[in-house]
Parts: sequence; structure tokens; C-alpha cells
Amino acid sequence: MDPYSLKTLQEWMFSVITHPQGVEAGISSPPAQNVIPVGSGNLTQVVVSSRNISSQTRLAIYNNAYFARLIECLGAEFPTVRQIVGDDPFAGFVVSYLQSSPPASYTLGDLGGGFPGSLRRTRPDRETESSTPDWADFLIELATLERAYAEVFDGPGEERDAALSLAALQQVPAERWPDVRLRFSRSFRQFHFQFPVHEVISKIRRGDPVEAPVPEDTFLVVHRRQYVVRRFAVLPVQFHLLGELRAGVSLANALESALSSGPEDPEFSPVSLQSWFQSWTAAGLLTGIEFE
Amino acid sequence: MSQRRLGLPLLGFGVGLRSQHYPYLLEQAPEVDWFEIISENYIDSQGRPRAVLEEIAERYPIVMHGVSLSIGSSDPLNFDYLNKLKRLARDVRAHWVSDHLCWTGIAGRNTHDLLPVPLTEETLRHVRERVRIVQDVLERPLVLENPSTYLEFASSTMPEWEFLGRLADDTNCGLLLDVNNVYVSSVNHQFDPVEYIENVPHDRIVQVHLAGHTDLGTHCIDTHDGPVIDAVWELYRRTHQLTGGVSTLLEWDARIPEFPVVHQEVLKAQQFIGQSPQPSDFPGVSTAALSGAGQPVSERISIPQPAIFVTAEVE
Repeated sequence: MDPYSLKTLQEWMFSVITHPQGVEAGISSPPAQNVIPVGSGNLTQVVVSSRNISSQTRLAIYNNAYFARLIECLGAEFPTVRQIVGDDPFAGFVVSYLQSSPPASYTLGDLGGGFPGSLRRTRPDRETESSTPDWADFLIELATLERAYAEVFDGPGEERDAALSLAALQQVPAERWPDVRLRFSRSFRQFHFQFPVHEVISKIRRGDPVEAPVPEDTFLVVHRRQYVVRRFAVLPVQFHLLGELRAGVSLANALESALSSGPEDPEFSPVSLQSWFQSWTAAGLLTGIEFE
Repeated sequence: MSQRRLGLPLLGFGVGLRSQHYPYLLEQAPEVDWFEIISENYIDSQGRPRAVLEEIAERYPIVMHGVSLSIGSSDPLNFDYLNKLKRLARDVRAHWVSDHLCWTGIAGRNTHDLLPVPLTEETLRHVRERVRIVQDVLERPLVLENPSTYLEFASSTMPEWEFLGRLADDTNCGLLLDVNNVYVSSVNHQFDPVEYIENVPHDRIVQVHLAGHTDLGTHCIDTHDGPVIDAVWELYRRTHQLTGGVSTLLEWDARIPEFPVVHQEVLKAQQFIGQSPQPSDFPGVSTAALSGAGQPVSERISIPQPAIFVTAEVE
């Protein structure tokens, strides 16, 4: 009979190689000790040593690899966050995230899904009672947008479907416009940020220098066209209008809601409204029209 | 005696499909015998990776290679994952579906590593039953690869080649012999790699993997970040003699060079089986590019594979 069952060995090894303080701490940890009560001195009862390296060093290869691999993958998904904070602090964020949300999916594509939320939950307290957005807010927003880019890139889109044409839009009789409801690209996302994080990400990707972040209300649309992620800033009134329309509200009601959401917008006029719809359609944001 | 290669085709010399090479492959449409994909990078994709794969699959034979089956885990099999694998295999007309003799996690967690199993009778019974279930779901033979390993359990009672041979005999699964992994594990565990190659059941071998690794002096790490070393080529030559020839694929997953460099590296295999184009026969590929590193081993991060992630393209 084998001294330890397969399940016991796997529970033990998992506890040891995923311990953030390393193998020695992992071997001594309660989850490992509860299943196999060995210490560094009698570790060879479980893992044999080689001619060149000890049992502990052999386990350490897997412990190092676990964190290095996942830090590498998240660094690829959040390159701006990593560059802004530096490699070591970024690794610290990742290790903290992995402790609270260990990977459970078969795909690395899901690994970063909870990273922005982890930064939000573990953010330091604000230094003052001020509501002015701070450095932590900036990092959380950067991570939120980088995750959105990843999700939009590999998520659903309309590349295989016929696009809504400007001609179809122009064929809508004027009297029907108030009742129009619009279908949006499944890749459509919108974000209200406190920093222009999209510009920071673009600068970092181009290799341009980045200054200290200055808060600025930023209304952003992210979507995908021809398999490439696109993003553009919109006016507050456009942001509210898009949000209402995306929720399935008719154009008349969406407009009323958007226009009452803030101060009167000098950019708004029936002419500008027409050009907005034309540009959103040309961009592939809108995919269909429905009437009540 | 089973049918040679389980009756699966001899595809020639292939390359692992990586996103860094998408533009080159789509624009140049190079002559390549076949491609192997990392299954998990595509089974949920609704974006560019999946679209590119479908275009590639129109032109080239495709084989699927997974890293998350976790055939050796004590956790239940993930049937949602298996059904997705089956659908993708149908969609891209995959010639076969492979994964590793390993476990990747337990209690619902995934380390995204290929962890070693204790080579015991209990493990053999466990894996045997799971291979049968997987093959029932996929409705095709599963092909399992020997992983690079960095530790051995005290409870192991048999060599890996014996475990794989008995598993293949009992389940009629195929084997993916990674000759670089045989070499890496032989250094790490001080066994004779030639003995391994000579004893693994040759008629079960459907495919061979080649790759580079990192030699740290005391042990080797399977990093897939450089050319194949001579000792591994010699193991490949011996494998070819024993099998009579199997589909051969090169994996290059870190510090990935341009596609022609990767392709030329796998075509070097022809020199070892008597088909013989020389490196100089490939115009435009420098020998410096093939020398691999350009950076001392000590300065590189040695992350064992797999660490394969597709990054977003943003305008």
C-alpha cells in the first residue's frame, strides 16, 4: 500500500507550492501539516532529493514557477499598471490577489478578471477626507481599462455579421425617430473614469513619457471592430445617451434623460445628434434599429 | 501490438501556433506541414485568435494540445471543458487532441503548471479510468505527453516510461513523446534518457515534441526559449529509428523569434533522419538568430512552460 494517497499528496503539494512565503513556510503551514506532517528534516519521506538538489529545492522550483508564471501572465494583461508601479510592487499586488482569488479556471484568459477588484478592495485609506481622486484611484482605473481591453478583444463581436449601414439609418422616417430603439455591438462598453487613463495606456504602449496623473472626468467608449479593440472619449451628454439607448430606452426618452442628466450642453443640437449617430454607426457601435 | 501511431497520419514537421506569428502567417502563407495550437487559448475565444485559427485551419492541418485537462488530479473531470474541447476539435478538424500526464490543481484550483504525479499503481488505476472517460466524451483517442518534471515522489514504484506504456496498453491512448522533456527529466532525476526512449512503446507514439530548455548546472528547466540542443537531437534521431517516423513539432514559447527562425529549427530535424537540408539552405535566417540566447542564462527568468497568454490588440 502506498504511504500517502494520490489525493493526500496533491493536497499537500498544492499547499506547499502555492505558499507566498516559500516552500519552508508552506511545509510548516497548517493546510500542509494537516495532511502530511513532515518537516524540512524528513521531507525525503515524501519527495526524494536528487544528486544535485535537495527535496526542498525541488519543491521550490514549482513554488517559484507558480508565482513567476502568473505574475508574467498578469503583467502581459496589465502592462501599463506594471510599468507605472514597477515590477516588484506589481508582483506584490499579484501575490496578494492570488492569495484572495486563487486561479480556478482552465484558461489564463480568466486569470485577470478579478485583479481590478482586488486593487479596489486592498487600496490604502485616503490621507484626507477629500473626495479628490488619488493615486490608488488612478491605478484601479488603469487596471479596469486594461482588463476591459482584454475582455473586449477576445469576447463576442459582430465581425461575422452584416453591419448596420448609414443608408439604413437614413431611411428611418423622421416621424419614427422618437420611437427608435438601437441595438449595440456586443463588444460595447462604457466607462466614467476620474483620470484620462486611456491616454496614459496609449502613451505607455507607444513608449512616450508619462507625467504625474491629473484628475479629469473622462467618459469613454470601448468596443471592437475588425478584431481590434477601439476606444474613444465622448461628451457627458453622449455618454448618458449611449447608456440609455444601450439599456433599450427609446430615442426620445433616452434624449430626455440624457439632456436632464447635467447642465445644458452647448455641443448638443439636432444637427450634432445626427452626426453622432452617423459616426457611431460608421464605427460599428450600432448594429440594428428597432421600432416600437 | 496496436496499429502504428494508432492509425493517425504522419503530418511531417510542424510548429506551435503563437499569436506573435499571426501577421506573418496570414500575409506570407508559408509552406508549413502543420500547426499545433494550445487548446485553452481558443476554446472560449470569440475574437481575433479564433478567427485567425479558422483561417489557418483552412490551409494547414491542425492538432490540439492542451494544458488544463489535469488527467492526474483527484478532482472530478470538468465536463464543460471536455465538451468545449470536443467542439473545437470538430470545428478545426483537429487530427488529434493531446494533453499531459500531470495534474494542474486540486479543490477547484488551477496552478496553471504541469505538476508531476506519483508513479504508483493507485495513480495508474486513477488515470486509466479518467482516460477512458475522456476518450468516451471526445470520441477519439487521447494523446498524452510526458512532462518535464523537477521532483520525484518517494512513493513512486515505476519509471515514467513503464507507467505510460501500461496506461497506453490499458486504454489504447496515444503518446506524445517530448524528447526534450525526456532529456530535462533525465538530468533532473539522473536516469538514462536512451533507456527511456528505447522502452516507451513505440507503436503508441503519435507525435514528438522538440524544444529548447535552460541548463542551470544543477538541474534543467523546460523553458522553450531557444534552439534544440545536440543531445536532444540525438534522442530524436533514436526515436525516429525506433518509431519509423512520427509527426514532429517544435515548441518555442518565450523570447519567440520571427517565424522563419522557428520553422527552420524544426526543419533541422530532417538532418537527423536522413532527409538533410542544411541551415544555409534557408535564406534570410541568420545563424545568430538560431544561436538562441544572446543573453546569459543567469540573467534570464527561467519560467517552466506553460506560460502562454494572448495579449489584446488595441488601436
